[in-house]
Order: sequence, then structure tokens, then C-alpha cells
Amino acid sequence: MASRRMAHDVAIVAMGCTPFRDHWHRSADDLLVDAVHECVGSLSGVTLDGIDAFWVGTQGSGMSGQTLARPLRLVGKPVTRVENYCATGSESLRNAAFAVASGAYDMVMATGVEKLKDSAYSGLAAVYPPADGTDVDWTAPAGFSLLAPAYQQAYGVGARDMRDALTRVATKNHANGALNERAQFRKAVSAETVENAPRIAGQLGVLDCSGVSDGAAAAILVRAEDAYRYTDKPVFLRGMGFVAGSGAGLATDGYDFTTFPEVVRAARQAYDQAGVTDPATQISLAEVHDCFTPTEVVLMEDLGFSERGKAWRDILDGRYDLGGALPVNTDGGLKSFGHPIGATGLRMMFECFTQLRGAAGARQVPDARLALAQNLGGQPGSCVAFVAVLGSQR
Amino acid sequence: MPDQPGIDGYAVHLPAYALHDNRLDGSGPPRPGGPVRGVAAFDEDTVTMAVEAMRHLTADDPAGRQLLLATTSAPYEAKTSAGVVHAALGLDPAVGAVDLRGHRCGATALDLVACTGAAAVLADLRTTRPGAPDELAQGDGAAAFVGGGTSAATLLARAGHTTEILERWRLPGDRHDRVWDERFTADVLVTAGLAAARRAFTLAGLDAVDEVVVSSSNARAAAALRRTLGGSGADAKVERATGFTGAAHPGLLLAAALDEAQPGRTILLLSATEGADAFVWRVGDGVRAARGGASVRQQLAARQAVGYGRYLRWRGLLDVQGPARPASPAPASPPMFRRSGWKFRLEGSRCDACAKVTTPPAKVCASCGTAATGQTPATVPLRDKTARVVSVTRDHLTTMPEPEVAVVVADVDGGGRLSTYATDVAPGDVAVGMAMTPTFRRLWTTDSIPNYFWKLRPRKEATDGQ
Repeated sequence: MASRRMAHDVAIVAMGCTPFRDHWHRSADDLLVDAVHECVGSLSGVTLDGIDAFWVGTQGSGMSGQTLARPLRLVGKPVTRVENYCATGSESLRNAAFAVASGAYDMVMATGVEKLKDSAYSGLAAVYPPADGTDVDWTAPAGFSLLAPAYQQAYGVGARDMRDALTRVATKNHANGALNERAQFRKAVSAETVENAPRIAGQLGVLDCSGVSDGAAAAILVRAEDAYRYTDKPVFLRGMGFVAGSGAGLATDGYDFTTFPEVVRAARQAYDQAGVTDPATQISLAEVHDCFTPTEVVLMEDLGFSERGKAWRDILDGRYDLGGALPVNTDGGLKSFGHPIGATGLRMMFECFTQLRGAAGARQVPDARLALAQNLGGQPGSCVAFVAVLGSQR
Repeated sequence: MPDQPGIDGYAVHLPAYALHDNRLDGSGPPRPGGPVRGVAAFDEDTVTMAVEAMRHLTADDPAGRQLLLATTSAPYEAKTSAGVVHAALGLDPAVGAVDLRGHRCGATALDLVACTGAAAVLADLRTTRPGAPDELAQGDGAAAFVGGGTSAATLLARAGHTTEILERWRLPGDRHDRVWDERFTADVLVTAGLAAARRAFTLAGLDAVDEVVVSSSNARAAAALRRTLGGSGADAKVERATGFTGAAHPGLLLAAALDEAQPGRTILLLSATEGADAFVWRVGDGVRAARGGASVRQQLAARQAVGYGRYLRWRGLLDVQGPARPASPAPASPPMFRRSGWKFRLEGSRCDACAKVTTPPAKVCASCGTAATGQTPATVPLRDKTARVVSVTRDHLTTMPEPEVAVVVADVDGGGRLSTYATDVAPGDVAVGMAMTPTFRRLWTTDSIPNYFWKLRPRKEATDGQ
């Protein structure tokens, strides 16, 4: 299988990200305009006219490239709408990166947006094609809650230890989010609050789940060799992997709900391209898809940060805390940011971008050189997965 | 036409729940010895109960080339509900599917089974207004019969007596029957019942039978007829545990009698509803083997109690706040049609190359990625297999009329994986490794489309007949 570095290296030279919130007074259009203007406004001498092509990721807040072209009143520009479940924002960036890497365009923009709060539904809402009605109408937490008992069974983790690890993921990410003015929830939560929250699915309570929020984010990408023309602190895309799972985990027997095989493969691709041989020591910080607390536990192993069956212990030991050896979800993650589907992947990039430029303030990871962004959609057994390695050096 | 009219096989499905008490305030213990009604779970209806009863019988080619569904509570108006049962049973398309409607149609269906060799399933779901005098005396259940032989019973004689009488009725769109004063209608039904019974005795050349079984929509008439005809009261005992199950009732009581009867004994089955239908049977030598699934007595013993509030929620008689989620999506007709093998018969596909099973069936194997050589891959039925729970969760945001439902991923013995709901079990009692059995249920109804598919219920050893 060929998954190699692109013909041209790619750099991110600017990003924008709205606060993720209950944006009752802003539409998806407004959020996109805000994110794009912040992004473009951070580069002197660059205007929207100078951007050759655009991508917009959204799961359900708009159809076609006009989702972006209309609110920005773009004239004569190609705009592509992409969708890949909760990895939609990452997909936007991935396709935009290919466009400059191919040489087709000099400067492109990736955007992502979602407006979830207008529906008044609990959790996520999506419209699916007409079907035969045989699929389980399960909530996202129900699907991901299958991970915890399977993990416990596979590695002999006791109920109290598992609960402690899940709680630690939640309290850690909320503590990080409390330091981030763009996060939806800016208050640290106690272990007691997490564990006393109303149950949603299996052993998951409300505070084991990411929030539902509105938001948008944007990035400007150019070929790496051009990056320093726009900024003295570009961030380089060192490796990128993406896998759309075959769904075999739910369609035939064998899959045991202790891993995301799609993430493992996507990570391998990204690491190979980036020259990462020991992610546990080489990665400075990681933004991962903590849609639900057990997801983050399993991801620590799928990404090669913890040994199989040991992530729960590493989490409890503080390895992934802000001051730990490998800080994870330094911006607060989906847990405290909420999860506007089309924007989340780019929000992760935004934190990596900010950290690698040394601009993360109280959250800054000292000497951050390599950052990882991992984003997934679907559910255990049948998901899509994205992994990128970003670096402060080319 | 069979050489001799009779019944070759029978089976009953009684729902897993029973309601003992219908007091809203619930103070004090229920009245001891009072009537108990069988309660179909929220995911059961006439069609699903019919499938569960019928699937225990070999009915792929009924001699009469007909599948009859007798009920007063079909899930559809206009559309034939028997078609769904036909699909779930995987019957040959040459076998017809027809609904019989009305309180008297259960007896008519038995007649057609015996005389034409048809297969029939009598199924009904009965509700009354909460607090109605006969609320605990109505019940849900299904009984299935296959004709074309006489292993279970030979029909010695039959006689009908039609009386137009306004006894129990309901306009389209009404939820519950209205009932005329039962003292008046009992009079009429007893007269009709005795007339039919006497004619049947005459035609059979008998003065008496060994067992009298009376089914009536009017409890007062049933009691009088049992007394006059010298019944043992065994039928009344069953009825007190199930309630009157509408069109299913003559079938249910006949099945309960066949469960206990010795070969060669004679049974009068009298159905006194909108007139009367009397059948005189001689129990067949093969009666023990003729039963599919568990006996009425076993199924009654296996039931669990359901509280009145829960029953009211299940029936939509108590409007409670659900989660802030959209209604579950309605299925669409073309995909249902294309995937009927999966949706109705629970068939997976078996790979030509690696023999692994893919669910739902697909042209390309989910395990090894090999494409099927033919136009469609080879299918393998999963509905009668045992599936073991791989992982389970409890969904507390369900749109079903329960505070939580268990969702399971289970591996089928012999290959295949199912992701579906657990049913007939408390969600907290479902554990990894538990053995479960597919059961045909209604997932939800959206946009006036009842959405049927298979769930998993705990496998019961021995009594399942599987």
C-alpha cells in the first residue's frame, strides 16, 4: 500500500477558530465568517481574493460549497464541501493539503463548521438516507460505551480502576479547558461531579460525554517552501493518515471493542511519513478525539503512547496531564470544547498550531516540537479515522 | 383438500409479561386470586406474536397454500398484515397471505385450517380504557395451527350459528372496543352456543365429549355454557391467567386442551362470539409431537409481572416525557423490499472463499473482502441460532417507552454478528457471554410505518423447543 509524503510539503500559515459555545445569536454563516476573518486577518497582505481554492467541512449545517461561498460572498472561487462524520473538519484540511501539494493551487483554505444547538436535541442529530430500518438507533454514547466493559474484560481492569481512569480523563480535560477562553466549559470539574452525573449509556454519565456546541474553524495552507513568505512561525504538516473503516467490526465476528483498528492504521501512515519511530517519546503533545472518556483511554494505546492494557494506569499516573510527559488535549478536548462536528478536526489543528508556535499561554507545553491531531467518526467497529503529525520544523 | 379434516401441528406464543393489578394508586396488595392478563411487551403486536407462534411449526408449504392471520387488532388498516408474517416465516411466495378480521374470525380460521389444510395464526392484542371493568380480563397472545393432516386432532364435526348482535365493536381509528351490557348479550350468545354445540354433537354422532372448551367474548356467557355443557373448568383456569385474547382465544384454549389431552379423547371447542362456532375434535395419536415450542402451562409459569404504570406506558395510555431526541427514523419501502431476507428472515451472507458470515448480507465479505461469484451471495439463516453477547450497553436516552434499553453486540454460533436490542429482560441483567435467541419484534413506529426487525432475548433452556 502506498501512502507516502506528498509531492510538496505543506505548511499551515494561519488559523482561526471561534469560541465553541451555545451560539444562540449566531448562525453557521456567522461562525464561518468569524473564523475565516480571524484566519485571514492574522496574515498581513493576504485577502480572501488571494486564496485560490476553499474546502468547507460540515455534516449537517449546509450543502455544497455554497455553504462557505455564500456567507463570504466569494466570487469565482472553487469551494468543495466535504463530510466524513466527526472527522469532517480533518477531511477538509486533508483535501486542502492535497490541493497545494499537487501544485494545482498556491494558497488554499480549509474550513469547518457546525450549528448543533438550533435543533434542541440531546446529543447529535443527523439525517441519513432512506434505509430498511434494521440499524440500531443507538446514541453515540451507547456505541462508545461498549469500549469500557470490553477493555476491562480484556485486560482484567477492575470496575473501580476503570472508573477512576475515565473520571481522570474528564477532570483532566475540563481542567485544561478552564485555561482556554475558546472552550465551551471553562470550569474545572471534580471527580465527584463526574461520577454523580446522570447516566447516559452504560457506565457513562453526562460528564463522560463531550458537550454539544456550535463553532467554526479555518486554516490557510501553502507549500512549505513558500511558508516563510507569510509568517515567521509556520507549522508544517509532517505526516497524515486517513482510513474509512470497512465496518467489519459490526458486520462479522471477531472484533472485540478494545481498539480502533482504523486509528492504528492511520497513525502508522502518519508516523511513517513523519519519521516518528517512538511516538510515546517523540510526540510533544496530542489532541485526540475524546468524544467519550473510554475513547481517550483506548486511543492512548492505539496511538502507541501506552502499552496495550496499560493506558488506564498511565492516565492515573498523570502521564497525559498538562504537566505530564505527554500532555493530551491541552486545549480541553471535545470534553470541554463541545463537538461541532465539522469544526472539531480543525479545532484540534488550531491547538497544535498554537502550541507549536509557543502561543498557548497558560496551557503552553514547553519546547513543543511535534504535535499529533487525531480525529475519528462513526463508532467502535465501524469508524473513520484521521491522524496528523505537525511540526514546528519542516 | 385434506383427506380428513384436522390439525397437524400447533403452537402458542404467550408474551413474557403478566399484569396482576390495575389500581393506579397501588395501595395494598393486589386482590388474591383475581384475574391476570397476559401483556405483550411494548415491542410486540399481533404480527410479532403471530411470527413467534408460527415459527415453531413447519409451515413452509401448507397443503392449503394459504397463511391466515386472524385478529381484531391488525397493525395496519388496508394493508395485509399476514404478508409481514409470511415474510418473517420465509414462506414460499406461492403460499397466499390473508387477514381475517373480527371477533369471530379465530373460529373461522380454525375451520379453514382443518378443512382446507391452510396454516393459520390467531393473534390479538387487547386493550381497554384504563380502569375498565374487564381490563384484567382481556389479554394478549397468539396460537398457530397447520392443517393438512390429523396428528394433533381430527375434526369430527363442526356447526356454526350466525347471530347479528352489537356486542363488542370499534370504529376504525378507535383504540378500544365498546361493549354492550353483557347481561343482554350473554343471553343471546348462550342460545347461539347451545344451538351450535347441539348440532355439532348430532353431526358427530356423539352424546357427550371428554372435554369441553368454551371461548367467549362474553365472560358471563362462557361461564353459563361451561356449566350447561359440563365443562371441567380447565379452560376457565387458563383464561383467568391470560385474559380473553380476542380472535386468538379459541385457538389458545384449544391448544391448552391439546397440551394435556390423551390421544383418542374427544374435545368440544365452542366459540361463542357474534353467534357461535362449535367443533368436535378427536385428539390425534401424534398430539405430543404435534406441538411446537413450549406448552401453555410452561409459558404461563415463565412469565414475569409487569406494573400497571409500565403497562400503561407500553400501550401509549400514559403520555410520559421522553428524551429530547428525534423519533427513530421510519424505514423506506424499497430498501425494506430489497433486503427482506435480512429484515424479515434474519439471513446473513456466507462467503464462498472463507465461509465467514457477513451481516447484513453483502456482495463483498466483511471478513476477507472476497466478492461473491454469483449475482447474490449465498445466504445463511440466523434466526433460529443462538447468539452470545460480546458487549452490551444500556441506553438511557432511548425513544422507546422504557427508561432504558439494553443494546447488545452478539456473535451467532456458526458465524455472524448482530447489533440489536435485548428484550424480555431487565437491561442490567444482560451480561457479556449470555446466550440469546432472536425474536421478531417491532422496533418502533414512525410515520405510520411499524418497523419490524429481530431483537435478542435470553435463551431459555428446554422450554424453547428450539
